[in-house]
Amino acid sequence: MWPFVARRLTLAALTLVGMSLVIFVLLRLAPGNIVDLLFQSAGYVDPAAKQRIAHELQIDRPVAVQYLLWIRDLAHGDLGISYRYGLPAWQIIRPRIPTTVELATLAMVVAVLIGVPTGILSATHQDTAVDFGLRVFSLAGLSMPAFWLGMVILLFLVREFHWIPSMTYVSPYVDLRAHLVQFAFPALAVGYRSAALISRMTRSSMLEVLREDYVRTAQAKGLPRRIVVNRHALRNALLPIVTVIGTEFAFLIGGLVVTETVFNLPGVARYLVEAITWRDYPIVQNLVMFIAIVVVCSNLAVDLLYARLDPRVRFE
Amino acid sequence: MRRQRGGQWGVLALFLGIVVTATVSTAATPSPKRGGILNAMHREDPPSLSIHEEATISTNWPMMPCYNNLVLFNPLFGQETVNTIVGELAEKWTWQEGGKALAFTLRQGVKWHDGRPFTSRDVKYTFDMVRGVPELASHLKLNPRKGWYANIQSIDAPDPFTVIFRLTQPQPSLLLMLASGYSPIYPAHIDAAELRSRCVGTGPFRLKEYRRGELIEMERNPDYFIKDRPYLDGIRFIIIRERGTRIAALQAGQLDVTMPQEGSKTAAEQLKRAVPSLVVVEAAHNVNDNILVNFKQPPFTDARVRRAVSMAIDRQGFVQAVRQGGAVVGASMQPRPWGSWGLPNDQLAQLPGFGDPTRQRAEARQLLAEAGFGPGKPIRVTVSTRAIALFVDLATYVIDQLKQVGIDGTLEQVDSAQWYAKLTRGEYALAGNLTGIGVDDPDANFYENYVCGSPRNYSQYCNPEIDRMIAQQSQTLDPLQRRRLVYEIQKRLEIDGARPILGWSVDSYVMWPYVKNLVPHQSIYSYARFQEVWLNR
Amino acid sequence: MRAVLRAVGSRLHPVGRLVRRYPLGTAGAVIMLVAVVAAAGADVLATHDPTRIDAAHTFLAPSASHWLGTDYLGRDIYSRLMHGARVSLAVGITCSLLGGLVGGGLGLASGYAGGAVAFVIQPVLDIMQGFPLLVLALVMTAALSPSLATTIIAISVPFVPRVARVVRAAVLSIRETSYVEAATALGMSRLRIAVRHIFPNTVSPLIVMTTAQLGTAILVEASLSFLGLGVPEPYPSWGRMLSVSAAEFAQKAPWLVIFPGVAISLVVFASNLLGDAVRDFLDPRLRL
Repeated sequence: MWPFVARRLTLAALTLVGMSLVIFVLLRLAPGNIVDLLFQSAGYVDPAAKQRIAHELQIDRPVAVQYLLWIRDLAHGDLGISYRYGLPAWQIIRPRIPTTVELATLAMVVAVLIGVPTGILSATHQDTAVDFGLRVFSLAGLSMPAFWLGMVILLFLVREFHWIPSMTYVSPYVDLRAHLVQFAFPALAVGYRSAALISRMTRSSMLEVLREDYVRTAQAKGLPRRIVVNRHALRNALLPIVTVIGTEFAFLIGGLVVTETVFNLPGVARYLVEAITWRDYPIVQNLVMFIAIVVVCSNLAVDLLYARLDPRVRFE
Repeated sequence: MRRQRGGQWGVLALFLGIVVTATVSTAATPSPKRGGILNAMHREDPPSLSIHEEATISTNWPMMPCYNNLVLFNPLFGQETVNTIVGELAEKWTWQEGGKALAFTLRQGVKWHDGRPFTSRDVKYTFDMVRGVPELASHLKLNPRKGWYANIQSIDAPDPFTVIFRLTQPQPSLLLMLASGYSPIYPAHIDAAELRSRCVGTGPFRLKEYRRGELIEMERNPDYFIKDRPYLDGIRFIIIRERGTRIAALQAGQLDVTMPQEGSKTAAEQLKRAVPSLVVVEAAHNVNDNILVNFKQPPFTDARVRRAVSMAIDRQGFVQAVRQGGAVVGASMQPRPWGSWGLPNDQLAQLPGFGDPTRQRAEARQLLAEAGFGPGKPIRVTVSTRAIALFVDLATYVIDQLKQVGIDGTLEQVDSAQWYAKLTRGEYALAGNLTGIGVDDPDANFYENYVCGSPRNYSQYCNPEIDRMIAQQSQTLDPLQRRRLVYEIQKRLEIDGARPILGWSVDSYVMWPYVKNLVPHQSIYSYARFQEVWLNR
Repeated sequence: MRAVLRAVGSRLHPVGRLVRRYPLGTAGAVIMLVAVVAAAGADVLATHDPTRIDAAHTFLAPSASHWLGTDYLGRDIYSRLMHGARVSLAVGITCSLLGGLVGGGLGLASGYAGGAVAFVIQPVLDIMQGFPLLVLALVMTAALSPSLATTIIAISVPFVPRVARVVRAAVLSIRETSYVEAATALGMSRLRIAVRHIFPNTVSPLIVMTTAQLGTAILVEASLSFLGLGVPEPYPSWGRMLSVSAAEFAQKAPWLVIFPGVAISLVVFASNLLGDAVRDFLDPRLRL
């Protein structure tokens, strides 16, 4: 077991180093940097001033040196100063993280609340009109671009009700109801797609399980169908749900970005995209590493869990 | 006899008419109410909060309420001319020494937001810093308008409430540049670098809070030097990056007013149809769409090719297609009725790109043939532009028009991060561009964009005779003579193809009807003081 | 004559049976076919030049001369949709194929060769998976300037680890079976075993994943265009048609927003239906 764990840990470390290199190099490859952008509004680039500012920000040093400086700062927990705002990166990022996490969580809640029951319903009423309708509903969720859905919701609200959710962030401590209303619509827009996926997964796992012998035996023995479904089938449906959440992570961020943009939520996903446009290296690098660490750690945890449960995996 | 009695009745009727009109109009314009918070639209974070260091409406719009100028264009008049200039921190001003000195008498008893008194030292400090005097302790990180004050020889502050600008040549335009929203007075006791992230001014509002990416909030300055101003309790500039969301927010009433330069005609039409009570005011931006032709790059070194390019592009079609009618055609100064220096229509009609499109294209093809190009040997060129919808549409139209005279254009979209660097280095052949001009004044425009060697003269156009004419008009005190010179310069610039102007954008500025006394000017940069604005609810 | 018809009919019988067994899948296949035909024949099927600007005829409602109306620059929407199909489908198909091939190859190598090879491949896959798609696409388009090639590479990258994982699992399950043991005992070279026994068993999961990814690829391309990345002008792209006009002109000329949106949704929908049917057909046990 332990050699396996050691191997996986080394792998995780290698992955993190690899990601840091990739993001660092790609960012530096991108032509133009923050200094050029600062001059953008001035309308021309003054070479002397550009040189001076670049020196202050240390972007005129060799790439390898910049990389080492970054890693060193990171090891000390220093996330650097945002080029764009001149403030510590952590100070800019920190208030935004809860917003994105909350949106993602609410979206997942919506997804599970809609996806699981519809999946079960679809499975227990297989091939009926209900099943058909629900499957179409799920597929529609997988087929619509998230930004289109968000924009359609917004336009519908303003057209029919002359109202849209607040454009400035409402803190839950100030007004819980308004806060929930503000997040409800974006959560719907993001969660619809995941709901569709979960619905499909639940349906297929349920169908599989319902065909199993032990279920048929239980039914033959006279157990009401509902109990059979709840006790046996549902438990087996949970694992695929977790798998979906894991694999969909990369696409979820995309949905979060466009939805935060459309609904004007001050989240970290949308801010990451803006930081890239602004070549704000400290913000981009550190945020991406943060996400990478989360992803790598969760993959590691899942792999270790599988290893405990499935001996075959350990000895490969 | 009858005539006399009729005359008496006439006078009585006139008198009654005047009385009635006066009563009705005062009833129709209620007196200003105090209080309330104005929610204004904003499209992005300002690059910094320092007006002197930026050249974008994104900074002027939220930050002007915090500062004062020496003089300002009257907020309540749409057109900005020398006749609409009113004093802010200056009580009166006079030209001396044949136009080579401008003396201001400053207001007394004005305090900065941190309580320190305002004196002439602050004025001298501000403009010495902007014009680049090297010995100063504090300096600007970026200084886009240094050139505006190149003509100043020295600034004297003989006593705490007098300032005299001494010039090398007479320059009537100096007063207009000082009246622009771009010319606030900075505090001498605060380092300029701090003003990039906070605001210490003398203005009607104080910066209450800046939540980056979300909003900029201003609150009323209770110690403002005009006793019963401002009327508003505060202003919130709400940052919404997505265009569709901004429009929806305005429609839903979460925003009370649009942002200058964001008033698209189509959006305004839709908004008006959805909410008929909304007020729509048309006002020009003082921003023009233009093409840059790289004078140093063949085949554009040939004057005939350059003229052909300018002739090929139908200006009216541009206004119609690319700006959906939300623009007007013109030459290098903002056209009438918005600007006061625009060429009259009959003179415009003779310039390339303004006549009958078919004939212009035929002439263009002929010019190209003379230069040695034609169907057998077409010109292939890259048209560069910024990767933003506004610019891309412009370039797409240009390519389409050039195709019709046999020039084969390919679109190159340049990331914002590289755009001005590329332009400054001349790394392009043809480019689609937008140029904003701080004040509707020939000096503010010509020196930046057309004079030999100016960093923003991207096309690297250089005509010493034009330089001479520009210098001449700058010193001309007689308005009629100056106007004639400016007309001549505009014609020559268009004929030379220095920077073919495609159109001047016009805002359809939208407000909710309860917003009073916010009058959009014909230039977006100078009307955001919000001192006179009040809410009727 | 009747004999010919009967002969043809008997050939078509299996097709008819397929259609009856998988009605939704057939519908999806038909829609995809229409889309492919539109894309391939865009030059012929389009009524106007999709890039031609017509200043005098902006915002025209659907009519006889412009079947789906014109946009804010006076360009014919129907023609742009046809040409846009070309781009959206090309991007979608290329990305899912690329992701499938590269992922399949890596999964095969990692699963079959095992050991050191897997040790090298695994972090590469993890790196690819760890990057949020949009971030990678953004940084890549910034680094390499927006183009068709950059977009395709950026979208294909997240597919690779997913496909690799599935293929690797399939390879692992086959590797331990008696077929392979026997073949090894008989002295068959590793390469021959790979080709004859392992590879065929990875084909069906590969096909399933690839068809399933098509819809996602098209959607992601639309999202990238919305953010201003993605395929640049002059290629008309459904995603970009939506982004520029979406809210600004939506109320004035709803056909600007409806048709591209419907096109995207329909094609993605169809590809999902098709993907489902393919999966049901090839291996009902396989779950994504």
